[in-house]
Amino acid sequence: MKKISLSGLDMDVYEEKLENGLSIYMLPYSNKKNYFISYATYFGSDVLEYTANKETIKPPLGIAHFLEHKMFEQEDGVDPFTFFSESGTDSNASTSFDNTQYICYGTKEFSKNLRYLLQFVNQPYYTDENVQKEKGIIAEEINMYEDMPDFQLEMGLRECLYKNHSRRFDIAGSVSEIEKITKEDLFSCYDNFYVPNNMFLLIVGNFDKEEALKIIQEEVGEKKKKSLPKTTMIKEPIKVNEKERTIKTTVEIPKVAVGLKVATNDLDLKELDLDLYLNMLTTILFGSSSEFRERVRESKILNGIYTEWEKAKDFRTFYIMASTINPDKLLGEIKEELQSHKVTEKDFQRIKKVWIASETRMIDNVDATVNNMFDDIINYRQIIPNKIEKIRSMKLKKIQELIDQIDFSNISTVKMIQKKK
Amino acid sequence: MKYTSKDLGSFGLHLINSDKFKTITIKVLFHTPIKKEEITKRSVLADILLQSSKEYDSKRKLTVEAEELYAADIATSNQRLGNYIVTSFTLQVLEDRYTEENNLEKSIEFFSKILFHPDVENNAFKTDKLDIVKYNTVVSISSLKEDATSYTLARMAEAYDKESPISYRMTGYIEDLEKITEENLYETYQSMIENDYVDIYVVGNFDNKEMTSLIKKYFKFKKIKKRKQSYYVTIKKPRKRRLFAKETIDNTQSKLAIVCPLPKLTDYEKNYAIVLANLILGGGTDSKLFKEVREKNSLCYTIYSFVNKLDNVLIITAGIDRNNFQKTVDLITKNIMDMKKGKFSEHDIEIAKEFYHTSMEELEENEHRLIGEFIGESILNTEPMSERVKKMAKVKKRDIVRASKKITMDTVFLLEGVKNEEN
Repeated sequence: MKKISLSGLDMDVYEEKLENGLSIYMLPYSNKKNYFISYATYFGSDVLEYTANKETIKPPLGIAHFLEHKMFEQEDGVDPFTFFSESGTDSNASTSFDNTQYICYGTKEFSKNLRYLLQFVNQPYYTDENVQKEKGIIAEEINMYEDMPDFQLEMGLRECLYKNHSRRFDIAGSVSEIEKITKEDLFSCYDNFYVPNNMFLLIVGNFDKEEALKIIQEEVGEKKKKSLPKTTMIKEPIKVNEKERTIKTTVEIPKVAVGLKVATNDLDLKELDLDLYLNMLTTILFGSSSEFRERVRESKILNGIYTEWEKAKDFRTFYIMASTINPDKLLGEIKEELQSHKVTEKDFQRIKKVWIASETRMIDNVDATVNNMFDDIINYRQIIPNKIEKIRSMKLKKIQELIDQIDFSNISTVKMIQKKK
Repeated sequence: MKYTSKDLGSFGLHLINSDKFKTITIKVLFHTPIKKEEITKRSVLADILLQSSKEYDSKRKLTVEAEELYAADIATSNQRLGNYIVTSFTLQVLEDRYTEENNLEKSIEFFSKILFHPDVENNAFKTDKLDIVKYNTVVSISSLKEDATSYTLARMAEAYDKESPISYRMTGYIEDLEKITEENLYETYQSMIENDYVDIYVVGNFDNKEMTSLIKKYFKFKKIKKRKQSYYVTIKKPRKRRLFAKETIDNTQSKLAIVCPLPKLTDYEKNYAIVLANLILGGGTDSKLFKEVREKNSLCYTIYSFVNKLDNVLIITAGIDRNNFQKTVDLITKNIMDMKKGKFSEHDIEIAKEFYHTSMEELEENEHRLIGEFIGESILNTEPMSERVKKMAKVKKRDIVRASKKITMDTVFLLEGVKNEEN
């Protein structure tokens, strides 16, 4: 087991890689009662098409999410939710663009629950009947999201930004796509992507690391490494697909969304450094202490704003979504701020201080720490032990250099207004 | 963890010592008996106090200063707790050993000035600030329908009894918003500081003596107050015949919400038996409703129930297709009947008890939930956590059946999704 010290936080992560390629990351706490286990595969809705054994397969959209739901069906009839409930443990699963994870969290029966989590995810059981039954449930899940204006706004923006990229599509697919899913589709995805060398385990909180490793060896050690299928590369233009779009829907208060599409292959900064600097830039421009916020607040054109960077293959995309009574004026302000991209040393130093404080605080909370480590593993395929030092050593000059390499006009805007009643 | 509570006359001080956090969290709560027409004003007041202060006359300046204090976090909320409105202000900041000497005291001083030195002139809040908050409030009120589940719960409560506090909308009302002026808002502020019952909760790693003197130094409330009214809502008896109410919405999915008033629960049932009954019926992914309505019949993605002890109600909610309305209601009815008839196993009870026990253990890991627990203990007047855990373990099936017999559906509300595809 490799010990990795998290600098500035007095905590150690233990990392192990089994012979079959399964990666294990463990962060034990000495002062917590609860634990959190995540068993994940690097398989999500980004896989639109893949080639395995010389056969190219294009499953219906939403297959990864459907598979996640169906994992909870077991041949022995035991419902995993029920199994975990016996010890008062919560369980869940989620599918994203680039991963699917199965989690359980509680305070009791760590060993039994870890063993069971591994067992149930390692035993798919799909029948024509149980696949059919799930379609009604997932259709209601899709309907629930599609009724939400914020979701419609985000999907509208994704379609404007991307022409062919997997990020154009909803993770859950659509009601008509999931209707086509068969048990054979599910088995094919499972056999190809749920293999140890494409999966990892993350355990945080109150547990014994030696005991955990022993259980993992027993349950997964025998599983064979497998060559991974080739995911078809989809060619995506650097330029945005559609500059502007207006959506008419049920909202009382209009909404706007702006997306900045940044192609990453030609940038000097890579991976974590790139993400830190991009985040710094937009936090200074649009964060809660920015001049932009003050301006739009005082002119009463902003009510609630959400910003996020998304990491996708070959791109980083910045999303801004907001509610406003004056969509045109707010869009104008956002675009202007993006073009001016003014960054001062004072703001830069203050945000660094805020970030370091946040990193220090986060470790108090098992859930937040799990999410943070999970994102690092997904994004960088490793634990980042020196994040605080990385933040501390950031230089203003590097933001300036990065700004010069970004085309700030490569944006899409979406306006959402009320349709006629 | 250690909890000590002291009545200092003009406010209650509650100290929770825990070594699990690197931060100190201070929550100041102002309690006042709820009046429907006051809700909007309280919401505007809480927001305007966080817009600026005497010293920092804009939101940006205020935020920048908080960031300089190593990201001191200040938040506010307005909540209805039974018959009361509770306006709270929370400070969360790293302990000095992770920042610099005196950062904590400076943060507390900054926080107290937001409360005690508001940005006012001639006994009135500033017009430009009030306009910003009013704009935000209008937007929040107008976008209520975007969250279809919350909207359905609000409409359900109004259909059930629009006079009852359980139907009050905490986002406020447009007609009340229009009546708010710079002057009358300041009167509300003064009344909150002078007349409200105040509680201060502190969580973290600190010395009680030092913390008490810090709090006394920066939070000076003059009047001595006593709570007169109970927090518990007097709920009407269920109707003889169920009330069905409906409204349509331009959505694909429909939302269902059902309220079951529980006027006859004993204190014991409220704190123990009904908690388990709810967990078995619809508390989580192992509940009867989840298994029957979702897993067996594929009628929905979400379905759950919850109990509000102060309001004396059990509420069930689900997202369904409109064509499955009757089938879903029938299944829910059947599952409630099964609870009354005792058609659940000892095993179901064990699972519910385990969930309860785990959630109590997890409480200690989250400072906000920890404060919530102690607020609950003090206003609900329940036994302490450790006692409740012991008592819960001893609840018998017959107790759960007896409590379940008091669950009666009163109002069934459907927000019917009828999608209009035209623009």
